[in-house]
Amino acid sequence: MLRPTASRLVAGSLLALLLSGCALPPKDPVARAAWEEANDPLEPLNRVVFGFNQGVDILLLKPAAEVYHGITPDPVEKGVRNFLRNLRSPIILVNDLLQGDIKAASVTSSRMMVNTLFGVGGIIDVGEETGDLPFHDADFGQTLAVWGVGEGPYLVLPLLGPSSVRDATGSVVDSLGDPVSIYLRAEDADALILGRTGMTALDARVRVLGDLEELQETSLDYYAAIRSLYRQTRAREIGLEPELPVFE
Amino acid sequence: MTKLRIPALTRRAVLGAASAAALAAALPVPALAATAEEARAFVESLRQAVFDNLIDVDVADEVRVARFRDLLTNSFDVPTIGRFVLGRYWNVATPEQRQEFLALFENMIVSLYARRFREYSGEDLQIGQARAVGTNDFLVSSAILRPNGPPVAVDWRVRPADGQMRILDVMVEGASLAVTQRQEYAAVIQQGGGRIEALLEALRRQQG
Repeated sequence: MLRPTASRLVAGSLLALLLSGCALPPKDPVARAAWEEANDPLEPLNRVVFGFNQGVDILLLKPAAEVYHGITPDPVEKGVRNFLRNLRSPIILVNDLLQGDIKAASVTSSRMMVNTLFGVGGIIDVGEETGDLPFHDADFGQTLAVWGVGEGPYLVLPLLGPSSVRDATGSVVDSLGDPVSIYLRAEDADALILGRTGMTALDARVRVLGDLEELQETSLDYYAAIRSLYRQTRAREIGLEPELPVFE
Repeated sequence: MTKLRIPALTRRAVLGAASAAALAAALPVPALAATAEEARAFVESLRQAVFDNLIDVDVADEVRVARFRDLLTNSFDVPTIGRFVLGRYWNVATPEQRQEFLALFENMIVSLYARRFREYSGEDLQIGQARAVGTNDFLVSSAILRPNGPPVAVDWRVRPADGQMRILDVMVEGASLAVTQRQEYAAVIQQGGGRIEALLEALRRQQG
């Protein structure tokens, strides 16, 4: 008796949240065109989540990143970054193959071997040091893009930050399909999974320390600035030929 | 008599053709390749001007800001950039709104970037290749070399006009500053109920 009501309540609240988070398209034709170009129908909800993420950042992530950056020597930070990247090699390889990029796949598999064997388990990026095997990232969102899937509406994910319908789907598929994650889950290594997630977040936050703050100080609409930058850098990552803006 | 004139005409024609060919060989070939090099040289000269006038020079802040504004208006096509940044709202803006926006936009750039030159910490700009893009623009690649941190890729979109080069856009690691600004300002207008006045108010407040 209780369970059906509870699930209906949850479903009803989620629906209400989603609907309230949707913005109705404006009536004015100029505003309407701008609204469509922004492609952010969930903007009110996204802004709320964005605010929440800001709070978590100010309270937890940024202070932790500042401490981490303050006490960690540069070579160690670099070593951690290299190690985390190396852990991603299997899922990068899978995506390279799914995208049909044999050249990229061979670079990734070579890197995996060379860095793990000669780079102390991936701490030293031997491939980058020699310059022959540079790092490239590949995720399932990118694979979907290569397969022709458009990015879809903008999404701000709790804790994860800026994304899109396509890229969020890609992230889910990646985390389910990542051989390293699968192995860790099978071994019940919760501490290691948590550790990896935490270090990934710290490393990512350290890399933009200072830049984000400056962007926030100087922008009129920080949310919109992040949305724009996310989309542009994402398009570049995917490797789509950028459309040059047209100046009169 | 007729027989003698034809050879003379022919000789003149041959001589004329030969000198025309010689003249063409003397001109730089083709004119477009020279302009890509000019675009590159232009960014190089901008870098030099920044080092000579803005960085590490012992001048008062107001002097530095004034020099930056001069350099900005001379090297960047601020009106064209401003028009692009206002986007679709340019067409529905009144002449007064357009004028005020351009003035506020220029002030925003000056206040945003001028102060950065005061806190110089050893960066340099390494200028790479230039290539033609669009109908008559050029993209000059470069990298900001930093003492602490990896280099930052910066591309300069340059357009020749009236015998002069002007910068239209700067792309940092692939993100166009003009596009980012345009999308941000469109959001400000949207959040302000679709009124351009909302953007002007926000800009005035930012500078006030």
